[in-house]
Amino acid sequence: MDHAYEIGMTETILQSNPDVLIDHERVEQGDLRTEEMLVNMGPQHPSTHGVLRLVLRTDGEMVLDTVPHIGYLHRCAEKIGESLPPYQYIPYTDRMDYLAAMNDNQAFAVAIERLCGLEVPPRAQIIRVIVAELNRIASHLVALGTYGLDMGAFTPFLYCFREREMILDLFEAVCGARLTYSYITVGGVREDLPDGWVDRCREYLDYFEPKISDYNNLLSFNHIFVKRTANIGVISPDDAIAFGLTGPMLRGSGVRFDLRKVAPYDGYEAYEFDVPIARPGGVDEIPANVVVGDSWSRYYVRVLEMIQSVRIIRQALDRLEDGELLAKKLKGLKLPDDEVYVEVENPRGQLGFYVKGDGSAIPSRVKARGPSFCNLCITQHVCRDVLLADVPAIVGSMDVVMGEVDR
Amino acid sequence: MERRTTNRVLGRRLILMALACAFCGATPLLAGEAGGERIGVTTASAPGGLLEALLFYGVAGSAVVSALAVCFCKNIVRMAVALLLTLCSVAMLYFLLAANFLGAIQLIVYAGGTLLLLVFGVMLTSKSPWARFEPPKREVFAAGAVCAVMLFSLVMVLSRSTWSGPEGAVSGASMADLGHALMTTYLVPFEIAGVLLMIVMVGAAHLARQDK
Amino acid sequence: MRWIDSAWYHKPLLHYIDDPGARDVIVTRFSVPWQPRGPVSNGIIAQGVIGVARLTYSVAAPVFSRFAGLILIGAVVGTCLAVWAHSLIFGFVDAHILGGTAFPAGYAAQPFAYFSPSTWGLSPSVILVRLEAAGGLGAAMSGVLQYLTWPVQFGFVRDVIGLGAIFGLFNIIPIYTIWWERKVAGRIQSRLGPMRVGGWHGWAQSFADGIKLLLKEDLVPKDADTVLFRTAPYFAIIPSILAFVALPFGTSYMFRELDVALVFILGVLGVEVMSVIMAGWASNNKWSIYGAMREACQMVSYEIPLSMSLLIPVVCVGSMSLTTVGEAQSEGWFSWLAFSNPFIFAAFVSYFIASLASVKRAPFDLPEAESELVAGFHTEYSGLRWSMFFFAEYAAMFVIAALASILFLGGWHSPLPMSWAGVFDGWVASGGMLGLVGAGMKGLLFSGPIWLMFKAVFLLYVQIWLRWTLPRVRIDQVLYACIQVLLPLTMLLLLGTTLWVWASTSDSSAWAMFDSIVTRILGVIGIVMALAFPSIAVYGFYNRRRLVGNLAVDAMPGS
Repeated sequence: MDHAYEIGMTETILQSNPDVLIDHERVEQGDLRTEEMLVNMGPQHPSTHGVLRLVLRTDGEMVLDTVPHIGYLHRCAEKIGESLPPYQYIPYTDRMDYLAAMNDNQAFAVAIERLCGLEVPPRAQIIRVIVAELNRIASHLVALGTYGLDMGAFTPFLYCFREREMILDLFEAVCGARLTYSYITVGGVREDLPDGWVDRCREYLDYFEPKISDYNNLLSFNHIFVKRTANIGVISPDDAIAFGLTGPMLRGSGVRFDLRKVAPYDGYEAYEFDVPIARPGGVDEIPANVVVGDSWSRYYVRVLEMIQSVRIIRQALDRLEDGELLAKKLKGLKLPDDEVYVEVENPRGQLGFYVKGDGSAIPSRVKARGPSFCNLCITQHVCRDVLLADVPAIVGSMDVVMGEVDR
Repeated sequence: MERRTTNRVLGRRLILMALACAFCGATPLLAGEAGGERIGVTTASAPGGLLEALLFYGVAGSAVVSALAVCFCKNIVRMAVALLLTLCSVAMLYFLLAANFLGAIQLIVYAGGTLLLLVFGVMLTSKSPWARFEPPKREVFAAGAVCAVMLFSLVMVLSRSTWSGPEGAVSGASMADLGHALMTTYLVPFEIAGVLLMIVMVGAAHLARQDK
Repeated sequence: MRWIDSAWYHKPLLHYIDDPGARDVIVTRFSVPWQPRGPVSNGIIAQGVIGVARLTYSVAAPVFSRFAGLILIGAVVGTCLAVWAHSLIFGFVDAHILGGTAFPAGYAAQPFAYFSPSTWGLSPSVILVRLEAAGGLGAAMSGVLQYLTWPVQFGFVRDVIGLGAIFGLFNIIPIYTIWWERKVAGRIQSRLGPMRVGGWHGWAQSFADGIKLLLKEDLVPKDADTVLFRTAPYFAIIPSILAFVALPFGTSYMFRELDVALVFILGVLGVEVMSVIMAGWASNNKWSIYGAMREACQMVSYEIPLSMSLLIPVVCVGSMSLTTVGEAQSEGWFSWLAFSNPFIFAAFVSYFIASLASVKRAPFDLPEAESELVAGFHTEYSGLRWSMFFFAEYAAMFVIAALASILFLGGWHSPLPMSWAGVFDGWVASGGMLGLVGAGMKGLLFSGPIWLMFKAVFLLYVQIWLRWTLPRVRIDQVLYACIQVLLPLTMLLLLGTTLWVWASTSDSSAWAMFDSIVTRILGVIGIVMALAFPSIAVYGFYNRRRLVGNLAVDAMPGS
């Protein structure tokens, strides 16, 4: 934290002394270096993906140092968790990573279920998997679209959002909301799928699957896009593990880790799907200057994950059977005097919930481990000695959502 | 400071802008083809007349005023902008003299090249827009003395020479003649200038190279 | 089980104007709160003006929305007629009033000087005499015409009319380019673009935007350099207007015929760089300064390949006058300079790329990069000042598109050779109404301003298309592309063209045959490419359900 204060003080000094004489000596020496500037990117900025403030120390066009300042979206969600029973806390989890609300709900619900030993009925589990994977697709569409927008490609953003609108229509039919669903609740799901929803979902998947190759042609393999993102912000696997990165950031650096395979929940062990990992010597269509761990790898891991999500949803739709939607013995649920920490695979990484119960219906401590918070920690390490235009490329590939950074 | 601009001020500005456009656009008008769309007039001729006098005094006046602004401005960037006005006024003078090519080249080379170089130097080395350039008093005195001597000698030369205008209408050289001359009579200076510019570019690139 | 509306997927996402049950309010509602503007009279006048504007709009909009197509076509045709008629009038004046055979001998058939105290021109009575000598007009008409044509004899009046036309062009072209860009961008992005303002496809969107920008608060940031901040927009639009002065729209449709028109336009476009630097610097905003520095680097670097690419057709034709270059391409498709030799063909491409960087359009729009610098050098500008930068940019886009058309694509000539225009010579010679129609057909089919506008508009469309398709290039990659790719390429092309032209000056018939074969081949390639655009569009339209998917196509109303 001292470092941050140091930069702040320097800023004050510069601003309070506007009338500075030209340094004649510097001009005489033929020193053409520009002076160092402290530049503030955010908290209101079109490309910081939310209220993130990045203070950059730049020398001309080169960024020497980056310090992210967070906390602009802090809403005391964890403290509120100490005063609400779990089923009432579900809407608060929606608003943490508001782009993947179903996955947030699922994380908290799985945590409470593990704490209390509840068993989710199979139909509810399958529905959970379907909506979670649909939300993964929607979240990745936002990530891809906004990443293209940061790079100046305006059109894929709208195509991704057009696809996402259809997913949101599906969600609206299921639970009435488009962004913050509160649909997956402790013990199962809140309501049943409406009539014809399954067919509509299949129609959507048939429509969506060929689109991914469209996006690849338009954006992923676009020469200009590749030049802007390949070999930028390279994170080695050791660094990734040391900084606690998860999700596509981890897999984009080559670490083989996906919670859905390693520690499955909600019946994920029954589905057949691959997990895209960035590896050297990939398939032919990967551009030549891509390096494992750069921004393009992370971006492409997300593209491939969408394909896998479609696979999972199709299998889940086929396996859908009639049954109950909620676990038994939910009325008057009391949390045992125990603690649990559960992580699930969010689109952005591993979202973890630590819940400590004390025998009453209300937990005594809820802590959320936001994947974007941990992913953001590497900003200072990786945004050194890069060009100013690379900072949005790196931050965009991290796909942060400030809701779960600040909670 | 934030100020609200009234409609009256905006209207005044619009009129000013329109006049400025007309003024700037009117200058090439006198490049020989006084009066409308005619085909086939390829050589320029410099006519006399009231309009030319008006334009000359106006443009020359603006050149002098902006040159003085360059000398007396304390703000570096305003100095650069005043220099831009000076160079554009000189370009307009060239157009008035029916030297179209030279005027256009003046715009390209000076206003679009040399001035940008100056502005880059200013921007990259000054710390804020309000950086002031205040040379010490003895430098001002010395420069003033030198300029006074030069002014005196210029005035003596101007007042003692007899100015005779050109006989009849002046027709500027056509582009083909210019090119031919550059490639035959003045080939050596042309090539030397090119080599010199290349040396300048290479030197600048070398100086600006970061030692990594 | 819940039942939901089974048609919800196929319901249009918007209440579109064609849906009779969902007609929304068309007028963009803007309410002007009472703002104390100083003296009461100013406020009253402002309110009065706004009231008149709203009244006019509420009266005019329903009419326009019903007859929009007719009005648009009428405006285009009317403009062409007006342009053509003014040349008729000027020609009439020159021939019959200022020159001609019915005059006393020794009278110099030249228009009077601009204005001189000694002679105030021909008085109306003299004009009347000469008009009657010209014959063919009734007494009453001549009586009116003598007063109407009296001012037209002065060059000053003609120039004012011409400048007014240029100023009008400078305004109208950006307005409609902006509207069109928004429509094209919408269609590329699977949406519709402006649809409401004015009724028919939002044709009045730019006007509404203009009114909105005029009514915005006029902000000058604290600690900004006020003088520079306020004058920077003017340094942007004056060069754009000046470029129109030298730009020819037809064989005899130009404001001034300069023999160095090309260099003049390049020079004034170079002054635009200064406006960007001034704007960025004077805003006292680090982001604006970044944008200004990047922009200056980019524009100045790309002036070199731009100028060299433009020199290539000049080498072929041997003149820097745009009129001469345009006239050299009058013999139809295969005489267009772009197909003259393969080096020019490549030079067209390199010119286009360099010109995109010169007007800071995507993929080189780093200075205005929204996602990185908010708005680059014009971050702190709002209202009328920002719209001036905007207008200057779109006018510059049109100027470079027109330059490309004149220098490479045949200018104001159609693909049909002028030698076939002899068909209409008989009509023109017979005079009267048939003569008018003949001249009109000649202009339409063979050589006229409408062809230049068509080609320039097509190149504008390509620029808009590229902007909404390609991502942005980083500044170091921009400069790399300029200095390490485009510059050597253009030098090689210049060398190649020079050698080609030199070879053509020799009398070898073998070379002449080789040259014409190459021209034919390149021309055929050009025809194929030109036909490819509409055929791909038609193919895409008829296969849109298969290519895009039913769901997306149904979601867009009117498709």
